[in-house]
Amino acid sequence: MTADLIVDPQIRFWVFLPIVIITFLVGILRHYVSMLLSSQKKVEVQQLADSQLILRARALRENCGYIPKNSFLIRRQAFNKEDGYLMQKRPPVTQNMMTDPSMMTDMLKGNLTNVLPMIIIGGWINWMFSGFITTKVPFPLTLRFKSMLQRGIELSHLDASWVSSASWYFLNVFGLRSIYTLVLGENNAADQSRQMQEQMQMTGAASVMPADPKVPFKAEWEGLEIVEHQWKLADIEKEMLQE
Amino acid sequence: MGNFKKDLEQLKRYRENNDRKSREVVQLWENSISVNIENLGKEKHIVLEQVCIAAADTFRLNIAQRCIQELYRDFPNSSRVRVLESMVYEADENYPKALQILNDIIKHDNTNSAAKKRKIAIFKALGRYPEAIKELTEYLKTFMADVEAWQELSELYLNEHDYSKAAFCVEELILHNPHNHLLHQRYADIKYTHGGIENLEIAKTYYYQTLKLNPKNIRALFGIYLTTTALLNSQKNMPQKKKDSAQKAAEWSIKQIKKRYAEENNVDHIQKSLAALEI
Repeated sequence: MTADLIVDPQIRFWVFLPIVIITFLVGILRHYVSMLLSSQKKVEVQQLADSQLILRARALRENCGYIPKNSFLIRRQAFNKEDGYLMQKRPPVTQNMMTDPSMMTDMLKGNLTNVLPMIIIGGWINWMFSGFITTKVPFPLTLRFKSMLQRGIELSHLDASWVSSASWYFLNVFGLRSIYTLVLGENNAADQSRQMQEQMQMTGAASVMPADPKVPFKAEWEGLEIVEHQWKLADIEKEMLQE
Repeated sequence: MGNFKKDLEQLKRYRENNDRKSREVVQLWENSISVNIENLGKEKHIVLEQVCIAAADTFRLNIAQRCIQELYRDFPNSSRVRVLESMVYEADENYPKALQILNDIIKHDNTNSAAKKRKIAIFKALGRYPEAIKELTEYLKTFMADVEAWQELSELYLNEHDYSKAAFCVEELILHNPHNHLLHQRYADIKYTHGGIENLEIAKTYYYQTLKLNPKNIRALFGIYLTTTALLNSQKNMPQKKKDSAQKAAEWSIKQIKKRYAEENNVDHIQKSLAALEI
């Protein structure tokens, strides 16, 4: 029975295509607006030094077998002694996060380019183009897909493979990623879905704040404490001469 | 036009392989790139940077100036371009001016490693090694995992004949890159030069390791021979067993060397194996 459902060609010109174009243009616009608003993240020397320190400690832990025992012990001492590299005291960083104005503006900018357009454009599309059937996916789907593909249309008898305008908008929002990379190059800011993922992570794990170096330092300290130095070259002379 | 494309690809290859082919780069620039700057598209800035460095390297300062002008037009406040500018002053041996620019950059952005490295390079060029070493150790306190810097520091220490410190730096390199035979070889060289029985033992071990990582490394074979004979000569009261094994090792290494030279007695081959010994 669904086969004889004919969609008005006007819908194609006034609903289907406009939604594609609007989402695309909004994405481009977002890219440039966020480029305008973005501020260069300033890296603190301390942070940089910390990350490099951890890299070096890791290299020592993993490859310590390649240097003589004495050299290893010197290094471990430098890292792990009472006031060694890994035992440095650091002022707690979490406190000043809220008082840091640049952090706040960053968050505001993020919201400005992410959440606001999402709400406004989404709401507008919903209001403007609500209640249209725009297209049909060329394969049969089960009833469960109805809530996904037919947002805004409550017709219980309609086949699930028809797509409503609101759902078409969302499909576009998430599906235009590869086109953005084609037009704007890699790492663009137009892609909403990726930005949304980032936001979720940020609010979840609070990774925006500079991570407290104490925790990885402690882990590296422990790792270095328990690592046992085994010189991998101890028997190499015999090994080579036997060949 | 086809030429232009081919030249661009050549430049890209140089960039990716990190080749220091400055003369060739400048040649390519003169052949086709300079008249086609506007057609470079996305690669424009990176090509300009590459040509600029090559031009400074070959003392073609007017070319370098032109690249910098082009870059400044697009990035008026870029510290990366300013580092380039200081490099051109450096090439012109106008060190005070170059240092002034670099100090300015560092004052603005304390994390700019390129500027700090250039500063050290200037000290080195001026022959002020102690100052260069001091700056470099200061730098390494922040950028501890910078392998290049460790290598440079080891070379500076070698210039000052401070072998134990140079060895420390090479140890650091080995930690970051344990499968590079040249690093092991360099470490053994330093230990051998340093002298003393303990250091000779270590040097011998590392020569063996070099040979294991790269069986073609003839310098390691020579190293083994030299270290074992030095050990034999330096220790008067060596246990007989140890003496025998050292004797055997020396014989083994000299036999290996002879075999290697018998196999490859044409000059080309030797030159090739010599070329493989550069770090």
